[in-house]
Amino acid sequence: MYGYYDPPFSVEQEGISISVKKTGDGWVYKRTLGKDEVEKLILGDGKRIIINPVEPLNTPKEITPNLLIEFEKTLLLAGGEKKRIFLTFPVEIGVFISENGNKSPQVLDVLSLVRQKFTLYGEVSNGVVCKHWKSRLYSFSPLLNPLQEGVMELTLRNTSSDWASISKAVFSAYGMKLYYDGDVFMKARMDILNRNTAETGFEMQPINGEMKGYLVKDQKIRKEAFGVYSLRKLGFVPLKFYMEWGF
Amino acid sequence: MILPDINFFDFELYPTSKGIVTLGDLIKFVLILSFSVLLSKVLTIYLRRSLKDRVSKDVGEPVLKLLYYGSFIVVFISILPLIGFDPSGFLLAGGVAGIVIGFASQNIVGNLVAGCFLMFERPIKIGDQVEINGTAGYVTDIRIISTLIRTYDGLLVRLPNQQVFTTNITNIVGHPVRRFEYTIRIRYSDDASAAIWLIKDLIDKEPFALLSPAPSVFVNELGESSVNITARIWAPVNEWFGLKTRLLWNIKKTLEENGIEIPFPQRVLHINTNSEKPPQVIEELKENKFEENECVLNFEERVLN
Repeated sequence: MYGYYDPPFSVEQEGISISVKKTGDGWVYKRTLGKDEVEKLILGDGKRIIINPVEPLNTPKEITPNLLIEFEKTLLLAGGEKKRIFLTFPVEIGVFISENGNKSPQVLDVLSLVRQKFTLYGEVSNGVVCKHWKSRLYSFSPLLNPLQEGVMELTLRNTSSDWASISKAVFSAYGMKLYYDGDVFMKARMDILNRNTAETGFEMQPINGEMKGYLVKDQKIRKEAFGVYSLRKLGFVPLKFYMEWGF
Repeated sequence: MILPDINFFDFELYPTSKGIVTLGDLIKFVLILSFSVLLSKVLTIYLRRSLKDRVSKDVGEPVLKLLYYGSFIVVFISILPLIGFDPSGFLLAGGVAGIVIGFASQNIVGNLVAGCFLMFERPIKIGDQVEINGTAGYVTDIRIISTLIRTYDGLLVRLPNQQVFTTNITNIVGHPVRRFEYTIRIRYSDDASAAIWLIKDLIDKEPFALLSPAPSVFVNELGESSVNITARIWAPVNEWFGLKTRLLWNIKKTLEENGIEIPFPQRVLHINTNSEKPPQVIEELKENKFEENECVLNFEERVLN
């Protein structure tokens, strides 16, 4: 389903039906998912529709930019160690509209096929509400349904001298960079600073020049997805998340 | 006829220690002050627009107000020599004038000081949902003298800052999450465990019913006519009301679909149909014998034949 489409078109997969059809002077965007139906009128020609995975923080309502991934099993990491693990994260499907060749498309619609749940990270008085996701831990990249789940390569680094017991990680959507091509991929890191605090963030673009916007991983080239959060022109928003209430 | 060469700008108004103040000086003073007010307003509007998406309203508005009034005061003081006032003289005169003004405008100064404290301590912010002195609604503005509240009915209430600062404030959105609870009554004949399972399942399906702090559903009371189940649920502070109204009806429908009913108040009457037994005669009240009468009066479960 992910890719670039020139109207008119119609695509259907896993109960999702997306179509753009000509009506009069404009175009009608129509999306159905179960009982949920969205219809929008697009004025103007020469537009392109982009469907790609986006940060899982837009549906059912955008109330937080933070994603908490709870590990199915607690992980213990020795002091000074650095390890790479694979997790899963929920995927939302973003539909964008752009002028041909325009690098800043407009969000048209966001939908999700996965269970939505929120949780609180920290104290009732000053914690943060996060989107919740429970993930198994993998030592290799698992095969998943790209419309529902993505793979996160997480590099854990324990900078303290003590053992760290890790059961969750919180990420900020503002730093998320998603890549897709057959699967959905994200590369993140988590630095354990001491007994209770850690810092999470996402890896910077590894490629420059012509290949910018692509990520080579395991000899596989993935395309960079447009994100809902990354398209916003924001001021000073931290791209990292500082986990101060334990992990 | 020869007209005298009169320059209105040189028209002398009053003498001061630094010279004579002319009409031109006064006009200059008014023009500079008006221009600075205009410039401050334009600058504030421009900054408000450009900061709209970058800085939250509760932070941006006090900064803009400080900028607006600050620039006005600086310009005002710096152009006072034009009309013959020495700003340093204010330091001396300020002490005496301050006392006089203070007495004359106790309430205004009190509200002004309270407004400064409100901006500094920040117990409430613009956009917060609050309850102050019986007035509940959204804070739409915190001004230097008063605070504006838009009630849930859409009415505008202006509260003097002194009142806001000295009274109890309930900030409904002060914390990121809040809890609400229901009491659900089921019949004694219904399976309470099944009801609890169904309610927990419904809570689990609601995205905004938080996983942590975990919800709790339990039998809280064995009532006169029902088994009372309490459900306590945490939700994000901006979503709790929608969730509360939606979930309660879903619980009612789901319980009924599964044969669990919410009972009406009831009292059990045992009707004795055994005709072989002679009917019991309810004793008549005996005069002047209170202790014997008491057991008759307190006997709740009457047996009818």
